[in-house]
Amino acid sequence: MITLTADIVRSTNKKLTMPTLTIDNQTITVPEGKTILEAAEALGIVVPHFCYHKDLGAVGSCRMCAVTVHTGPMPGLKMACLIPVEEGMVVTTGDDASATFRERVGEWLMLNHPHDCPVCDEGGECQLQEMTISSGHGIRRYKGDKGTYTNQDLGPYVAQEMNRCIQCYRCARTYKDYCGGRDFGVMGSRNRVFFGRFKDGMLESDFSGNLVDVCPTGVFTDRTFRFKSRSWDLEQADSVCPHCAVGCATIPGGRLRELQRVCSGDNPQVNASFICDRGRFGSGYASHPERPRQARHKDQNISVEDALTLLESQIRTAVQQHGPEAVLLLGSDRASLETNWLLQRTAKHFGCRVPVLNAHARRHQTAQIAAFDFSDRLASLEDVRNSDLVLVFGVDPLAEAPLLALALRQMVRKQGRVLLYDPRPVELPCEFDHQAFSPAGLQELLENGGVEGRHLRDLLGQAQRPVIVAGADLLGPLGLQSLHAWASGASNAERSCQVYPVLAGANSFGTALLSLPEQDDLLTRLESGKVKALICVETDPLLEAPHGERFSAALAQVDNLVVMDYLPTPLSTNAGLFIPTCPPVEDSGTFINNEGRLRRFRQVIKPGLSLARTGAGEHPSREFTLITPGGDPLPAALVLQRLIRQEQELSELHRHLAEDQPRLKELPTITPGAPGKRVKPAVTRPQKTDKLPEQPAGTFQLVVSPARYGSDLFSRFAAKLAPRLTSTRLYLHPDDLFERGLKDGEKAVVETDFGSFRLTVASRPGMAAGCALVENNGDCPQLIPGAGLSYCHIAPGGADE
Amino acid sequence: MSQTTQLLFKNRKPGETIFLKEFSANGGYQGLKTAVGTMTPEEVRELVKASALRGRGGAGFPTGVKWGFFPADKPGTKYLVCNCDEMEPGTYKDGVLLQADPHQLIEGMILSAFALQTQVGYIFIRYAYEKQAENLRRAITEATEAGYLGKNILGSGFDFELHVHGSAGRYILGEETALLNGLEGIRPNPRLKPPFPAVRGLFGQPTTVNNVETLANIPHIVTGGAQWFKDLALTPDGSGTKLFGLSGHLNCTECFELPVGITLHEVINKYGQGMWKNKQFKACLPGGASTPYLTREHMGVPLDFASLEQVGSRFGTAGVTAFDEDTCMVAVTLNLIAFFARESCGWCTPCRDGLTMVRWLLETLESGKGTREHLEMLKDQLANISGKSFCALAEGAMGPVAGLLNHFEQEIVDHIDRGHCPFNK
Amino acid sequence: MTSIESQTTSHLLDQQTLAEFIQHAGEIEHPREMIIDVLRAIQSHHGWVPDEGVELTASILGLTPIEVEEIATFYDKIFRRPVGRFVIHLCDSVCCWVRGADEIAAYLKKVLDIEFGQTTADGLFTLLPSCCLGCCGIAPAVMIRQEFFGPLTPEKVDELITSLRKEALA
Ligand SMILES: Cc1cc2nc3c(=O)[nH]c(=O)nc-3n(C[C@H](O)[C@H](O)[C@H](O)COP(=O)(O)O)c2cc1C
Ligand code: SF4
Ligand code: FES
Repeated sequence: MITLTADIVRSTNKKLTMPTLTIDNQTITVPEGKTILEAAEALGIVVPHFCYHKDLGAVGSCRMCAVTVHTGPMPGLKMACLIPVEEGMVVTTGDDASATFRERVGEWLMLNHPHDCPVCDEGGECQLQEMTISSGHGIRRYKGDKGTYTNQDLGPYVAQEMNRCIQCYRCARTYKDYCGGRDFGVMGSRNRVFFGRFKDGMLESDFSGNLVDVCPTGVFTDRTFRFKSRSWDLEQADSVCPHCAVGCATIPGGRLRELQRVCSGDNPQVNASFICDRGRFGSGYASHPERPRQARHKDQNISVEDALTLLESQIRTAVQQHGPEAVLLLGSDRASLETNWLLQRTAKHFGCRVPVLNAHARRHQTAQIAAFDFSDRLASLEDVRNSDLVLVFGVDPLAEAPLLALALRQMVRKQGRVLLYDPRPVELPCEFDHQAFSPAGLQELLENGGVEGRHLRDLLGQAQRPVIVAGADLLGPLGLQSLHAWASGASNAERSCQVYPVLAGANSFGTALLSLPEQDDLLTRLESGKVKALICVETDPLLEAPHGERFSAALAQVDNLVVMDYLPTPLSTNAGLFIPTCPPVEDSGTFINNEGRLRRFRQVIKPGLSLARTGAGEHPSREFTLITPGGDPLPAALVLQRLIRQEQELSELHRHLAEDQPRLKELPTITPGAPGKRVKPAVTRPQKTDKLPEQPAGTFQLVVSPARYGSDLFSRFAAKLAPRLTSTRLYLHPDDLFERGLKDGEKAVVETDFGSFRLTVASRPGMAAGCALVENNGDCPQLIPGAGLSYCHIAPGGADE
Repeated sequence: MSQTTQLLFKNRKPGETIFLKEFSANGGYQGLKTAVGTMTPEEVRELVKASALRGRGGAGFPTGVKWGFFPADKPGTKYLVCNCDEMEPGTYKDGVLLQADPHQLIEGMILSAFALQTQVGYIFIRYAYEKQAENLRRAITEATEAGYLGKNILGSGFDFELHVHGSAGRYILGEETALLNGLEGIRPNPRLKPPFPAVRGLFGQPTTVNNVETLANIPHIVTGGAQWFKDLALTPDGSGTKLFGLSGHLNCTECFELPVGITLHEVINKYGQGMWKNKQFKACLPGGASTPYLTREHMGVPLDFASLEQVGSRFGTAGVTAFDEDTCMVAVTLNLIAFFARESCGWCTPCRDGLTMVRWLLETLESGKGTREHLEMLKDQLANISGKSFCALAEGAMGPVAGLLNHFEQEIVDHIDRGHCPFNK
Repeated sequence: MTSIESQTTSHLLDQQTLAEFIQHAGEIEHPREMIIDVLRAIQSHHGWVPDEGVELTASILGLTPIEVEEIATFYDKIFRRPVGRFVIHLCDSVCCWVRGADEIAAYLKKVLDIEFGQTTADGLFTLLPSCCLGCCGIAPAVMIRQEFFGPLTPEKVDELITSLRKEALA
């Protein structure tokens, strides 16, 4: 007898009973509301099905999941996906009636299906094949005409081959219903239904790639992966998407040293079974043609071993001659938890001062509020999906945490409400109320509240499962602290008001958790003039922290610049000593996501130049050597372990880490692909204060927002995403535009604390007045989000030369 | 014209439409006045229940029972929807009724809206019935001006507004939940039940869907009383009159209002005036394209819900389509299946692809290229499609196939044995 | 409001009707319910619904083109391809079929010199098969401009075609 855990209990408030039923002579007890199909699955009984999908729900259209119910007022053949379990129910799945019917359904579904399995892109992972075989259908008896379709060009990401369609409607249910896309749909009727767009063209949704995962046959396939590999030849592993701090489960697939595709993994607490297009099609950074793959000292290529020897002596000399301040180790929120922790060990080992784990000081402070103050009330995305009221402050979900946007849509579909306060003209794939508050206005609202604030706090108090979503970049440490007070105030004995912080980097939470609050920031340390050697591990402060110019200036005083990275950033190129490391797909490690969840990833491929590149155009295709071309990079964690001469198995490392950091107690128990446990709560740290600078007359509040694509460095170095990149504009409220005598499409010069930029102006009615909005991407790398409130001047920029 | 009691057709004049003046002169809106003036909504519902009226849209569900599930007393917007999709081959009675006398439906709807306490009504009408839609629009204007529709109807404090909503073809729109989707402007696939429309219907609000003829009967029940209405039928479990649309190989293919329970013999020979071109009767569809065939042996069967179920068929919409002795029943069934396969909404597999398979089997058999294996496959398809599709369309589609296999299997065998259709001389 | 009213839409809808639709769409809670009304109005004005017709409907109702197309392509009485001035819907369902619809079909094809789905060279007639038209009592029947004609014989077909041709000349 098996008991299924009540993971859906949370979504309903009423007391649940647990009916017991019998399926194929096995007994099981499941929570009320579960279906026969789910109960059978829990028993390990496979009931073939198509239209039912764990996250899309049941619609009862394919009729494949038929079973026979022997009890109740209306016994007989029933669709297992639709029938809720009842106490004492007796069900058989293998009886003649249901088995025959399922075989017929298999036959009907295959009526028009082409016999192209040997050349089909879905081959090897085709659910239609599996279901057809498990339904028992083998030989096509139908000899009539088959339908054929003309395919559409859906853009660079998703290929369509409609003749393979079996009309399960999953694509439309995913694209339209789940993801809220409005440019894809179902056309026609009877046995001539067509799933596609109104006209040819790139799918507009930021979640379009989910069509690939969700289509059970080869209609929608990953166009960027077409004709590269058969799925069974891929090296695949459970991984975590590094593109933002949501921490979605992914299953990247690589072959011949090339990362060829990324599929969605399944994490019921986080992303369910969907990911965004940035994560799916943004993996090109791993095989970027300029990726540095060789250790280098000045202009000389050297071996990693030699580089390590050199580095060791540089560190020792600097510490000996100038003391512990002389060596500054710099971690990163895109480096793994293990790497950042090993940096701390490295500092200890050599007797240097504690490392700085994030070049972006303000982001780091904000992440610490999330990692400490919020730690007992962190919401998961599943909590967001099940919430009835979500207040979002200072977040543009599609840009900063795309799967959060999907989670919000799901709660709205369940009659939940979203109220969003943000200066940007935020779009969401669902209905929501948007109040365009400027950053200063937001801070005022959060600190002092006023009428609006009181109203919102009342709403939170009345809601049954309230969640606050807090944007770290826009709100900063102070804003997050105010929201902490809001959340405590709205909690009561029955339920707590939870918070979902939106942080910047895949491991922002992890770096924050590891570090001490009182630690100095990068610039203070550098500008002290004491630092002789700076060792940057998987970070380029020029691209990842504001004050790029101050950093450049301070850097000039450093004798030795050491960089370990896998991205071709300016700093990698300029380093005196460079050691190539590996991106997450070539490494095994851990990130901690927004919700404080330990997310383990496992190595998918080994580093090396892809065969497609080394063999291109050559005859014979390549030289045969024992050394993998481009195979020098090592995971940063390994580099550090070799540096301190303490190489350990990952499990051993995790044990030490967990001993050192009691909040990470669960780390050794977590495996890649598992939902991942949360870190242990912490005690609240002392309050921070952050004064608003005075606004100079005639200025605008500068709002720097991540672009949906090209803001995180991974996607900036991912060629496949090029079609989605936008060029930077200066967005202004139409009233401001008018007042300054500017017109849409004209140029303007923006003078900011971070430099002056000449940009094309665009009017955006949905944004807050008095603000100048610029997106951070490859065009404007100096403007980095999360820098805090600053002001800018705007002047007409004259005509184009 | 029939000599039996005429309720729905009492005002009918060939080639004419009766509007408010004449309708009122013949006792129109009396039922409404009585109900609104002297009865509570609950009393109207009870009366309809007692009348044993069964739905005239094909499924024959008792109207009073259906209304009993409706949350009439629940506050909030509720809808009453009239189903005038009428696209099942052999069924044209609602069209005739609305061509003759649109106010009857409108009075029926106001009364029903009062009984169910719905504030908004829609008449969903098929594309081909543009004339009828025009009649309805005019009648709605007249009724509104006369104070029967709109705010505070007849000073009762009850409000009801009524809209006509046109369709653009497709039989599935007649299925009540597909119809609601169609009305909302989303793809008209049927909806999953539960929740039933009475709980979540149009725009998510409680909704009742009833057929034109069903609703048009309500005023007569209110004025004549439940027992009187019930007694109009010739069989004990029958109730009221029924519009019979005659078609096929009959001399007279018109629509008649006849008592429920009239025998097939009388319908065919008296009202249909016998078979066309003096041929023999072979079979008929008793109630539209989805009802299993009746044959000569059924001539004495009273046409009502219970009696037809007993002989393995259905009363349906009482559209009687007769076939003469020279008709190939395989070919008729193929024609019917071709209709259903073409009209499938494409949502569920048994209908979308199963009916395609059945059509192919019947084509193969009809062309004489079939074998006994195909015959067995046909039986197997019947067993696996009937009752197993998402909505009742596919089940209805298999009605004639069931009839064919029950009564005319030998005809299929003849096709196989001769290698061609025996009726193609 | 005015952006929709322009030269480019005048061949699809007369401006009066367009203005009414826009106004009505602004007044009701669920503008989507008007999709069929707008499509039918475009069709009766323009003869059929071209891509711009779908796009116009979408912009009147605040929808995307595909959301309209999902509906337009479901129904068989919305034409998404050009048709002739008179669309002849010939019923091929059971009541008409047993009373000789096949012969009428053959005859129509012969006199118009087209197959089902085609339009005559002069652009006057398009011949389409249709499911039951709801006039089973006058089988075999056709529907033209939502008017029924039946029971048909070859002679009556000739009369009908002649009178429609005459109307077209007038
Ligand atoms: C495929 C299909 C088509 C239908 N077509 C019609 C129709 O055209 N008119 C109608 O009144 N009911 C039709 N029905 C029945 C309706 O679903 C519904 O039962 C009926 O409108 C209820 O009204 P009544 O109880 O007054 O008969 C159809 C049902 C199915 C499954
Ligand atoms: S039986 Fe299935 S495909 Fe057919 S009309 Fe009903 S839902 Fe649509
Ligand atoms: S999985 Fe149950 S009907 Fe499709």
